Amino acid sequence: MNIDFTAADAARLLDACSAGVVLGGLLIAGTRSMGRAIWLVAAQAVLLSVAAMGVGVATGSPQMVIGGLLTMAARGVAVPLILGWILRRSPVRTERNPYLGPRASLVVAIVIVFAAAVTIDGSVVDRALGGAVDAPRALPVAVAEVLTGLLIAMTRRKGLSIVVGLLVFENGISLIAFSLTYGMPLVIELGVAFDLLLATVVVWVYARRMLTAHGSLSTDHMRNLRG
Amino acid sequence: MTELLVACVLLPPVVAGLLVWTREGRTAELMASGALALAVLAGLVLAVSVLAGVELPGGRLVGGRLVVFDGVVVIDAFGAYLLGLTCTVSAMAMAASPRYIRHELASGVLLARVEGRYYALLLWFVASLLAVPLLDNLGLLWVAIEATTVVSALLVGITRTPDAIEAAWKYLILGTVGVGFALLGTLLIYASSVQVLGQSSDALNWTRLISIAPSLNPSLLRLAFVFALAGYGTKIGLVPFHTWLPDAHSQAPSPISALLSGVSITAALYALIRFHLVAVDGLGSDFSSTLLIAFGLLSLAVALPFMIRQEDLKRLLAYSSIEHMGILALGVGFGGPLALLGVVLHMGLHALTKATLFLSAGELVQQYGSRRLSAIRGTLTGAPVAGGVLGTGILMLGGLPPSGIFATEFAIIVGGVVAGHAVAAAVAAVLLALAFAALAFHGTRLMWGRRGKDAGVSHVARAGRGMALRLAAPLVLVAAVGLWTPGPIANALDAIRAVLGVTVG
Repeated sequence: MNIDFTAADAARLLDACSAGVVLGGLLIAGTRSMGRAIWLVAAQAVLLSVAAMGVGVATGSPQMVIGGLLTMAARGVAVPLILGWILRRSPVRTERNPYLGPRASLVVAIVIVFAAAVTIDGSVVDRALGGAVDAPRALPVAVAEVLTGLLIAMTRRKGLSIVVGLLVFENGISLIAFSLTYGMPLVIELGVAFDLLLATVVVWVYARRMLTAHGSLSTDHMRNLRG
Repeated sequence: MTELLVACVLLPPVVAGLLVWTREGRTAELMASGALALAVLAGLVLAVSVLAGVELPGGRLVGGRLVVFDGVVVIDAFGAYLLGLTCTVSAMAMAASPRYIRHELASGVLLARVEGRYYALLLWFVASLLAVPLLDNLGLLWVAIEATTVVSALLVGITRTPDAIEAAWKYLILGTVGVGFALLGTLLIYASSVQVLGQSSDALNWTRLISIAPSLNPSLLRLAFVFALAGYGTKIGLVPFHTWLPDAHSQAPSPISALLSGVSITAALYALIRFHLVAVDGLGSDFSSTLLIAFGLLSLAVALPFMIRQEDLKRLLAYSSIEHMGILALGVGFGGPLALLGVVLHMGLHALTKATLFLSAGELVQQYGSRRLSAIRGTLTGAPVAGGVLGTGILMLGGLPPSGIFATEFAIIVGGVVAGHAVAAAVAAVLLALAFAALAFHGTRLMWGRRGKDAGVSHVARAGRGMALRLAAPLVLVAAVGLWTPGPIANALDAIRAVLGVTVG
């Protein structure tokens, strides 16, 4: 093949994907629609996997390409499909009165992104690693996504929105993984993807039980256990 | 031979879980017990051989470590200890399951078709717990611990009552966030070791990490420990990451509570201690030890009022688990030969006592038809076996001599003073005394208190001699250790302490 995909191209790709991931996180923070949130978090995962595969091709690391494919299959396809199944059976598909409204969440999320961009010097990592791909923006983006994910998970009331928040958080962690180390060893990537899939299946099981028991996915029904 | 044994630990529960899923009744019980017995036997053989320093045919001990499958599985004395504990508590939980589950089925709490699933999930839960002490790679260790969360979340909510669903949901969500942070910690330690070792596949192996610890990047290592503390701290139940624990441990079926409070949180502590040991070698003992002492004390202090005012028997036991994890974190933070001796023994004694307590609590809750401490009173006359074991066990858990727990708590406190943490040790001593008072209050009322008029009717099959033996034997062991430690066990304790960084002269 005559494709000349250099490290500089990979760095540009990584930057573009990071920007997309940030935008996705902001849009999720700013939406009430759970369906849109699921699409957006899937899009984040696809961007992540494209970035991983790009860097893998540029640095000649098959491990990263396979890791990217895994991310695509697990987080880009399987997990959103399961969440979509739950959503179709849920009577309420919007986040009606979250603890923090979408506009306020959006503002906080933007503040998080800026704070991360200002305080975290991503180039430290590359200098330390002697990385082939220059990607100083990936680490601040990753940290911002971890925090945005936690923000979403903590301020929403609906079970499904909380899970979407956790997925944003997980996307942030995998972006940290590969901006720091170009990915974990493949066995571990496999294990992580497997566990995430398993966790989503368990979420599906409990979503069904919540729908049977309460007729909704709202966590307002779950305030019995105290003290 | 050793390869076969390791395979016997993990494969039978996993495979039998698949087969038992759709079975019911006697078949399900027999298949699950058979598979578990095989795994437990293999695990105990491995554990004893490492702890006693005896080489099995085909397996060489290198520096006290059994290395199997090209270093994927490495069992040192500390791992062997956790393996042995996990085997013992799993066997206890399995032995108690048929009687417990039959009663739940008969009273309609569980649906008949769920019986096979219960045993399947129990087997998978045990398999994931057994994997923890076997794996040398911190990444795979993380995978195993996350697997314990996911599988046990299904068990916590198996009764499908609204409360059980709530508990399981909280456990699942908070557990996932928690282990997410632990993954971050694992990544950071990987990032620091890649700088030294390059992109090699063993860069996350604990045995490699500990050998290169001094040359790891200190700021990455510091960050890695902080995230591991928050992450595995959630699974351990350290305050302020503990909020899921009382719910999950009290709503789960009692044999599962025994596994959760006995070994699941201990396994997470094991993982955190592995990070701590690398951090101590890389950064000196101050950084991670101070954090452990702080979180340990906080856990002790916060669990106490909830224990005093507790109205629910299983929640009382769950808060006491938070308290005991606090003591262990404190002891690890103190360090030094005496405190670590206390920590090592305390881990085992707490696991055995707490598992016994949850199993006998399960009996009583079924018998009295309530979890409320105000309903479960005067058990010495109402339900002598389970009531006697539970009452005695609660007192021993608080540290009533000659319980071994008194000796270990004493060792941790004195060890703290010796190591120069007199203030923390003094505060801990006061908190422990108050916790004992709380447990003694509840324990004595439980045994001798006057029963209210609304106390439930007993409709449980009478306790047999087998059950009495099954419940009382672990407590006898716990008391015996407080009085007498035979030579081989003392040697094993020294070997475990050696892994924790104490050179035994």
